[in-house]
Amino acid sequence: MRTLTLVTKNLSRRKARAIISSIGLILAISVIVSTFTVSAALQAQIGNEIDKYGPNIVVTADSQSISVPYGSVVIGNVLFSEDAISQMYEIPNKANINVISPKLYNQIQYQNQSILVIGIIPDKELELKKWWRITGSLPENDTNQILLGSAIKNGLNLQEGSSIILGNSTFLVTGSLAETGSTDDYAIFIPLHNAQALFNLEGKISEADVAALCNDCPVEDLADQIMKAVPDVRATPIKQAVETRMQAVQQTANFSLVLASIILVVGFAGITNTMLASVHERIKEIGVFMSLGADKTHLYKMFLSESVILGLVGGLVGVAVGAVASLIMGPLLINVPISLAQLPFYVIPLCIGLSVGASVAASLYPTWRASKIDPVKALKAV
Amino acid sequence: MMLEVKDVSKIYDLGNNQVIPLDNVTVTVKKGDLVSVIGPSGSGKSTLLYTIGGLLTPSRGDVVIGGTKIYELNSKSRAQFRRENLGFIFQTFELLPYLTAKENVMIPLHLAGVSSGEQEASAIDALEKVGLSKRANHKPTELSGGEQQRVAVARGIVNNPRILLADEPTGNLDQKTGTEIMKLLCDLHEEEGLTLIFVTHDPAKARLAGYVVEMLDGHIVTNSLSKC
Repeated sequence: MRTLTLVTKNLSRRKARAIISSIGLILAISVIVSTFTVSAALQAQIGNEIDKYGPNIVVTADSQSISVPYGSVVIGNVLFSEDAISQMYEIPNKANINVISPKLYNQIQYQNQSILVIGIIPDKELELKKWWRITGSLPENDTNQILLGSAIKNGLNLQEGSSIILGNSTFLVTGSLAETGSTDDYAIFIPLHNAQALFNLEGKISEADVAALCNDCPVEDLADQIMKAVPDVRATPIKQAVETRMQAVQQTANFSLVLASIILVVGFAGITNTMLASVHERIKEIGVFMSLGADKTHLYKMFLSESVILGLVGGLVGVAVGAVASLIMGPLLINVPISLAQLPFYVIPLCIGLSVGASVAASLYPTWRASKIDPVKALKAV
Repeated sequence: MMLEVKDVSKIYDLGNNQVIPLDNVTVTVKKGDLVSVIGPSGSGKSTLLYTIGGLLTPSRGDVVIGGTKIYELNSKSRAQFRRENLGFIFQTFELLPYLTAKENVMIPLHLAGVSSGEQEASAIDALEKVGLSKRANHKPTELSGGEQQRVAVARGIVNNPRILLADEPTGNLDQKTGTEIMKLLCDLHEEEGLTLIFVTHDPAKARLAGYVVEMLDGHIVTNSLSKC
C-alpha cells in the first residue's frame, strides 16, 4: 500500500465533499481558461479584421514639402509612381498585407469653388473603410462615375443619377456617402485612372493606405520593409485604433483575471475549510495513525497528497469547463468564434499548477493542525 | 525487552485544580510477560498504557523500554520507536472503514516504509495467525465485531512488536467473542513469546495474565502473579 492508495481510497468515500471543496478551484480555473481563450480569440479577430479600423500604414512620397492634410494624416504634395503598389506586395511579410488602397488627391474648380477630388480604386477603398455607408452604388473602375461625400452632395445639390462636368469630362453620380465626420464628407471620389486622366497625372498617386494583418509582428517592421522595397517613399505606421482596441481587450482580460483571483481566494478558503473539517472528522483516525507510528512527516504526506489530488482534479475539470464554456459562450455573448487552438500553450499547465498550488497552500494550515493533535485526546474523541 | 515505568506521574493543571491520573507509578515488565492492568473507570489504567506506548508524555518520571528512555527521544524518533517496537489494540478496534482488512493490517508496515509486496505478504501472514486470512479483502463493515478485533490484533502484531499494548480489547465484544479474543492474545503471547500488556475491567480476564496490576485513583494498589 502506498500513500496514494490510502489517500485516493479516503477521497473516494467522500466524493461529494471532494467535489464541493473543488468547486471554488474549478470555477477559478475555468474563468482563467475562458479569459485566456476569449481574449486570445478577440485579439486574433482584431488582427484579422484590422482593416475595419482603417489603414495602419500610410505610404507617401518621401518629401519634406507638406501641404495637403487628409484625415489625421498629413501627406506630401509630391506624387509617386503607381508601380509602388506592386512593389509593396514583394516585401518579406507580404502575406500580412490585406489591402492596399492607392489614392490621388487634387483640387478642381467647380461652380467657383475649389473641390477636393480623390482618385481611388473603389472596391479597395471600401474594403479599407468598412464604416462607409453608401446610398446608390460605388463607381465602377475605369469609368467616369463618381461618389460624393455627404457635404459635397448637399452643398452642390446633386443626386444619384445627376451628371457633373469636371474639366473636360462629364461624370455620372452613382452614389453618395452618409456623413462620416471626416474629410471624406468634403470630397468627390473618382476611379483612380479616370482621376489620373482628369489631371493629366497618368501612373501617379499621392498616397497608398495599407491595412496589414499583423497580429504578432510590429507594424513598424512592416513599414520598414515597405520603405526598403519601394524607393523614395515614406511608410508611416498608424497604431492608435488597433492599440486602443487591443488595450480594451487587455483591460477586459485583466478584469477577468482579477475576478478569477477573487474566485481563487474563495476556492482557497473553501479548501481550507474542507480540510479543517476533514482533520476534525478524522481526528480519531489521526490518533490511530500516530499510535501505529505515524510522525508529522507521514501526516503532512497524507494530507498534502490529498490536496494535490483535489488541486489536480480541480485544475483539470476547471480547464475542461473553461474550454467548453468559452466554446459555447464566446459566440453567444460576444459574437466571437472561439478556437481552442488560439489558447496559448502555457495556459493549461499554468492553470493546473495554479490549482494544485492553491490547494496545497490552502491545506498547509489544516495539516499543521493535524500534526499538532494530541494522539491520546484524538483516540478518546467520539 | 525489559520495560520499566519509573515513578511516573501525569498531572493536568486545570486552573486552581489538578487532575492526577498517574501518581508515582512504578512497574517493571520483563520480556515475554503477560500483564493485565485492572481497575475502575478513571483509575489511570489507560493513561498508564498510553504513557508506556509513548503517546502521553509524563509530567514526572521515566519510561524505559529496552534501555531507551522513550520520552528523551524527539517526537519523530519516538514515532519510529513505536513503529519498530510497539503494537496497539483498541477497545473499538479503530480500523479504517475505507480499507480492507488486509490494507488495515498493512498500515504499520506502510508507515515503516516497507515495500508494497512485503507489506502484503506480512499482512496475510498476520491475518493467518488470527485466523482471518480468508476475510483479507473484506472491509470492516463486512466483518463481525470479533473479526474486526482479530484484524486489529493482526495489525498490532504485523510489525513483530516487542510489546503489544491492548486497551480493553474485549470491551466492545460479547462474553463469548471476548473470551475468544483473550484466548487468541494468550496464544500469541505463548507461541510468539510476545510481551503483552492489556487493560481490562473484567477481573476474570485480568486473572488470565501472569502479572496483574490493580490501579485506583492513579496509584498501583497491588501487583500480583497469576497464570494465563
